[in-house]
Amino acid sequence: MTHLDPNVPEINSRLERALIDASCRVPVLFFFGSAIFWLLAGSLLALVASMKLHTPEFFTWDLGFLTFGRVRPAHLNAVIYGWASAAGIGVGIWLMARLSRVPLRNQFLIIGAGILWNIGVTVGVISILAGKGTSIEWLEFPSYATYILFVAYACIGVWGIDMFVRRKPGHVYVSQWYIFAAFFWFPWLYATANIMLVLMPVQGSTQAIINWWFAHNALGLWFTPFGLAAAYYMIPKVTGKPVHSYYLSILGFWSLALFYSWNGGHHLIGGPIPIWITSAASVASFMMVIPVITTAINHHMTMIGSFHLLKTSPTLRFVVFGAMSYTLASLQGSLMAVPSWSNFFHFTHYTIGHSHLGLYAFFTMIMFGSIYYIVPRLVGWEWPSARLIKIHFWCTAIGITLMIVVLSLAGMLQGLGLSDKNVSFASIINLTIPFLELRSVSGVLLTIGHLAFAISFVLMLFRFGGEKSQPTLFSNTPASKAP
Amino acid sequence: MKEFAPYFAMVAATVVLLGSSALAALYWAAKSGQFNNLEENSKTIFDASETLGEVTDAFPGQNSRIAR
Repeated sequence: MTHLDPNVPEINSRLERALIDASCRVPVLFFFGSAIFWLLAGSLLALVASMKLHTPEFFTWDLGFLTFGRVRPAHLNAVIYGWASAAGIGVGIWLMARLSRVPLRNQFLIIGAGILWNIGVTVGVISILAGKGTSIEWLEFPSYATYILFVAYACIGVWGIDMFVRRKPGHVYVSQWYIFAAFFWFPWLYATANIMLVLMPVQGSTQAIINWWFAHNALGLWFTPFGLAAAYYMIPKVTGKPVHSYYLSILGFWSLALFYSWNGGHHLIGGPIPIWITSAASVASFMMVIPVITTAINHHMTMIGSFHLLKTSPTLRFVVFGAMSYTLASLQGSLMAVPSWSNFFHFTHYTIGHSHLGLYAFFTMIMFGSIYYIVPRLVGWEWPSARLIKIHFWCTAIGITLMIVVLSLAGMLQGLGLSDKNVSFASIINLTIPFLELRSVSGVLLTIGHLAFAISFVLMLFRFGGEKSQPTLFSNTPASKAP
Repeated sequence: MKEFAPYFAMVAATVVLLGSSALAALYWAAKSGQFNNLEENSKTIFDASETLGEVTDAFPGQNSRIAR
């Protein structure tokens, strides 16, 4: 058995990775599997909501649960808590174990959290469809679902801290900082917002302040750290080159940690709240240019000389698409915090375009890429079909680009029209209909992409497809032989 | 305004605790040498079997070790 001698550094590092991957297999695949289920459910809810905006008679059989007011929040909560959070947690667990260089500990805690959390999302989504939603955006789940979710998040947070504390000695890689911070911050944000809005609600416009403090922090201190952690690992790892400037990546993390939590107030520009809150939020939104530019420079400079790999690496395709969208989404976000800009385009489809640029084109695409990298290492099997991956990529890339373009244009026309006293409200509605129809087309494309992805994933779980004539990743690694 | 006192206290506590936890982490990181030798530490994701320069992902059926 000389070829498995752990004293040989190369064999030792392979064994170490194989052990870590084996320890992550069940929990990470569970999170990915449930995330993909909610992605499909969220896509269907989104399609129904989108169709209703231009064809109100679509699905009107006197069924209360299919009204826009319920389907739309059900979509939002299914994708943010069901898909995005679960995918982020799955990627976070794997990266945390890999970068801490210790096998995943406390499996029962993380699997229990995953089961609880799925129960919470199921109860929450059904409650919203049944008309029990709270009508607070991003927190529509009723309080009984919230308790379940909070326990699940708290377990994951405790697990994250435990893994961080017990990591092998040595440097803390920038991705680890991001993931550790996300696991630590989110239960806190979630609990604070729920106590003040759902359990013991504050009164008046203070509700709106806390609502947007939470919703924006969920993006910036929960989803963004997972997305950036994955990008900072996947891009160097796939290309085989270290990050262009590691110094900038560290600066990016710490500036995000210090500035982001002030941003939420910019959602309320022009609203009936103290003006210092929106001013502080606008300033903080511009401070965010620092972490965004550092990240953009870093990812771009790391990729220079490796762009040809976009042809051959599915992970890199999705992750680079996501990383570029991060720059766009964040700079657009800073622009939207300018009061004179916000006065026109706020409360229009423009904002919805922006949120899809952030949560889909940036975050979701990076999660897709990461899942393409991680799952073969957990299952010890190659993805069954390059064609399915390409269908997934092109449908989602074209679909989301189309959606963002049409929503931004519709929102700008809507905003300018609403500011003009000579334009009637009905004519603005009519003007936006073709754009909304195109948005439904983009939704169909995204759903086709998601179906291709789900089929790939299920085939992978059953190790369908057989060995390839040209073995790639697992030709000579012990992990490939793992059961 | 009196009825808002508990909320102000809660918000203040959250802001102070979140901010101070970030500052405490920054202090720990600086003290424990996390910011020393940054360029070398950026290579910690590579090891003896997945070395610097090795491409580690490809579409199924394509050889990933071609473009070192």
